[in-house]
Amino acid sequence: MGINTNRTKLDTGNNACAEAVKLAAPDIIAAYPITPQTSVSEKLASYVDEGVLHARYIPVESEHSAISAVAAASAAGARTFTATSSQGILYMNEILHYTAGGRLPVVLVNVNRAINAPWCLYVDHQDSASQRDTGWLQLYAGDNQEIHDYVLLAYRTAEEAMIPTMVCYDGFLLSHSMLPYEPIEEEIARKYLPDRDPDWCLHPAYGRKTFAQVTPAFEYSEFRKRLAQESALALDVIKDRGAELDALTGHNVCSHVKPYRNEDADYLIVSMGSMGVEAEMSADILRNQGIKAGSLRVRTFRPFPAETFVELIPEGTSVIVLDRNYAYGTGGGIILQELKEALYGRKVSVRIAGTSIGVGGMELPAQHMADTVKDVILSAWNDKI
Amino acid sequence: MIELRIHGRGGQGVVTLAEMLAQIALAAGKNAQTMPFFGVERRGANVKTSVRLSDEPIKNRSQSTTPDVLVLMHANLFDAAMADGEHADAYFVISSTEPVQMQQKCWYFDGISIALENDLVVDGEPYVNIPMLGALCKVLDLPKELMIEQISKKWSDKRGLPNVRAATKAYETVTA
Repeated sequence: MGINTNRTKLDTGNNACAEAVKLAAPDIIAAYPITPQTSVSEKLASYVDEGVLHARYIPVESEHSAISAVAAASAAGARTFTATSSQGILYMNEILHYTAGGRLPVVLVNVNRAINAPWCLYVDHQDSASQRDTGWLQLYAGDNQEIHDYVLLAYRTAEEAMIPTMVCYDGFLLSHSMLPYEPIEEEIARKYLPDRDPDWCLHPAYGRKTFAQVTPAFEYSEFRKRLAQESALALDVIKDRGAELDALTGHNVCSHVKPYRNEDADYLIVSMGSMGVEAEMSADILRNQGIKAGSLRVRTFRPFPAETFVELIPEGTSVIVLDRNYAYGTGGGIILQELKEALYGRKVSVRIAGTSIGVGGMELPAQHMADTVKDVILSAWNDKI
Repeated sequence: MIELRIHGRGGQGVVTLAEMLAQIALAAGKNAQTMPFFGVERRGANVKTSVRLSDEPIKNRSQSTTPDVLVLMHANLFDAAMADGEHADAYFVISSTEPVQMQQKCWYFDGISIALENDLVVDGEPYVNIPMLGALCKVLDLPKELMIEQISKKWSDKRGLPNVRAATKAYETVTA
């Protein structure tokens, strides 16, 4: 299959991200540089400086301030953006909870990077996956097209569900790798994502509304109950707005899970992020060895698309989860735990096992993942393969 | 698919070389990918970048450990390149002032002389990345016109011409 050289552009994931943020036209950007995110905030700063992006760029002194600034601006009715990685998102943690609790539709890009200690620059998913219970929605891209498109999807979703949304992608492997993608045309972007029109905001022009009092238990519990319920319902928002975006762009990159050769598979590899794209090659390698394998790549991680997995994993299938993170104390990773929970009581003859690999930027070529899948099959079930 | 791994030293313009090569391949209708490996770089430290070109969409998301082509910005990077793996039939493209003797098939060209002739010198250091771009376009059978177009696009000012000249010279003089 050739490539449409008129519409296709070759660029890094960070540039594909910044291009999409420009299309989304945020009013306020606040970010603090950290490897490997830095070139996103640099690019946006230069867009603002050149006057091609009419946003107010706040050069803050820390990630905690970055998220605080955009949360406050979002409460005042602005469309906002911030980006970070690794220690940066950990430093934001307090305000991540605050942003979700306040139902502020902030969009954050997290360029995945291992967390300290020991000090490490390279990819794994511990940084954002460990923010699972902050209330944020989380999408994970596998290539630069998905990065570009998910930024717009994140804004539509966040502003409709009134829940902040994170777009995550792998440091260096995508952030600094040039891959082909088709930029969304400005007209399509404007049609898909018009200016934000908030129902309410903390702004003098809209009168005084404040929740600064200590909230009594009943009201507090109602706030949190609604966040929990509406987070789960946000799966439909992501799905529908994704379908709408795909229809406009013709890209076909928005779905909760990306399946590959799953329909007749005995073994399904589940993974997330860029490794999930190469895992399709691992499935091919295993098929060539007589093992009927397929792949399911997680795109929507929060809320976890349990129903989609129930549909995609037939009875009798064996599932091998490859996590680029650890759920410490469980012997596996975070997606393994999520998937077990999703399928519990729903499937009687599906087996699930998994392992954590690729942490701290360990390379995951297709052959290595295929070998790891076989190791898991043998150690967990001792199947004759 | 053809996989290349470029070995150079920090500050030699390996990332720029990889990006321009991939852009030329894209303009020629190919799927292309660059995957630079970033260490905590210092000028002069070993650096590498994988480049993949294919007629099919590229699903790889890891550094190439079995490249078809090993690109050395200097012959003294041979050991570093071999340590990261190669395909059994891999061949080399090397910038070298003299013919290179090795067991594997090898293309070479005098990148340093070409850089000096065209004044591609920064802080006294001749830059062989654009001559290498020319050599690789020849070796990979990428059209010279697209190469010239890409270089002219990258440097639309007076820097364009010496770079086009250098790449063209390497394109025409690289030998197996």
